[in-house]
Amino acid sequence: MIGLDLGSTRAKAVRVVEGQVVDRREVPSPDWCQLLDMVEEGEGVATTGYFRHQVEGADAITELTAARWGVKRIASDAQIIVDIGGQDTKVQDLRTNRFVLNDKCSAGTGAFLELVASYFGKGVEDLGAMSEGAEVPADINSTCAVFAMSEMVSQLVGGASQADVVAGMHRAFARRIAELVPEGDRMVLMGGGARNTGLVKELSSLLDMDVRVPEHPAFVNAMGVVEYMTSSTARD
Amino acid sequence: MGTVGITALVPPELVFGCGQTPFDLNNTVPTSECIPRGKLCAWTATWRDALLHGDLEIDRLVVVAGGDCHNALVDGQRVAMKGIPTHYLFYPFDGNEDEMEDHLTRLEAFLGGITDQTAINRVADIKDLCIQLDVARCRRKVLGSRVFNHLIQLCDMGGDPERFEASVRRALEDRASDVPDIRIALVGVPPIYPDFHEVCEGFGMQVVFDELPWEFARMGGRSLRTMARNYAGYTFARDLEYRFAKVEEELKRRRVEGVVHYTQFACHHVLEDDMLRDRLDLPMLTIQGDLARSCPEQEKLRLEAFAELLKGGGP
Repeated sequence: MIGLDLGSTRAKAVRVVEGQVVDRREVPSPDWCQLLDMVEEGEGVATTGYFRHQVEGADAITELTAARWGVKRIASDAQIIVDIGGQDTKVQDLRTNRFVLNDKCSAGTGAFLELVASYFGKGVEDLGAMSEGAEVPADINSTCAVFAMSEMVSQLVGGASQADVVAGMHRAFARRIAELVPEGDRMVLMGGGARNTGLVKELSSLLDMDVRVPEHPAFVNAMGVVEYMTSSTARD
Repeated sequence: MGTVGITALVPPELVFGCGQTPFDLNNTVPTSECIPRGKLCAWTATWRDALLHGDLEIDRLVVVAGGDCHNALVDGQRVAMKGIPTHYLFYPFDGNEDEMEDHLTRLEAFLGGITDQTAINRVADIKDLCIQLDVARCRRKVLGSRVFNHLIQLCDMGGDPERFEASVRRALEDRASDVPDIRIALVGVPPIYPDFHEVCEGFGMQVVFDELPWEFARMGGRSLRTMARNYAGYTFARDLEYRFAKVEEELKRRRVEGVVHYTQFACHHVLEDDMLRDRLDLPMLTIQGDLARSCPEQEKLRLEAFAELLKGGGP
């Protein structure tokens, strides 16, 4: 079966055969149709993500449900899921089945990371490495993404290094996410944002819990939707 | 006979009984295209601006001062300063029936005195019909959206009780065949999104309890004394312990599977969210709205995920 996570900025696909992921692909979301080339005749397709209802004939579930099933597969004892996506960040407490989405402000989403990377003429994947040489992370207090950018520019004008500014941005971002996270012992951090090592480091130091990042954090939902469709005990 | 603008629950039987026509200003908000200036809560600021700009016409205003919010109290006073005759209705916090009767007596005087007992009786009869409609949705015979659209109008009956009654009777007679089977409750103030119930139904969830509109139906009376006895129990004016106990009672009675707590941006009811989560032993989703418009996609995502959860979508 093919699991498609058609997110707001990136589209991901996995092929699962006998419970094992045997293939992964990823394209920019506007090109998600390319992923359908993976589908072999007679093969089932299930979808999740923003564009989930665009695939004709495929069963679809929300990213929240897909994440629960995906995480169950890779970390069955996880209590909390933090999924940093392109347009929102989703936090789920698996003990209480409660979830919150940070979507009214871009300061805690992948969109903010893209804005920062774009300012430095880099890709989002470069931000982690950029912050590695930080000595004194810059103090960035604004809770608004646009004003946080203004603060970063001011810090650069004031002589802070790029590494310190990016590290400060990661800290501010992590604070924003941490506000949404309930108390617990074990958390899975996933989604495209979890590829940012600088962010993972800051979030891990802020939260007093075991923060686990899966080997392929952006593919958990794609795997989860297959897991759901093949194991579901849903009412419908 | 004149039009009396009301900012929250004001006994419609008393307004009609005094020969006046109530006009619930809130019912104009969800379909309004107004973007209010200087707002906290869009509910009150939208009707305030509509009145200030002359988009809505009323002869008098009744501001619910105790039992509504300070936003309504301030916005109502701003409208009053324009020169519209205004009365402030207080619901007693402790549910004192004598005090409630005193407030209703003052309201009656402001409205010119009761002149039409028949009108009072008609409103009471229509509320009885609406309670039947509420029972019908719990039995999955009517869509929750259709029931909500009637209960929410109980504050003013669209200004025309006869026509409203005919609409309620039609809703009772038209039995729906495609009622969703997941039973949810909508707690808090009504959503500012006009399509909210329909969106829930699209995801397989039937709203079997609308907290505030249910208050509109269960409050009533055919005399000032019985009105006082009933309206003294208006939960939104009472302490939270009293209100939460009533909510719990209804959730149990209606076999609710999940609760959606609707909160409004800059509304004091937002502060009740954690308390409700601690209190209610049911899956709960919080939705926060701001300006009036169709239900946003992000809220639809939350509702769809909530429906999946209630369907048993957990691993």
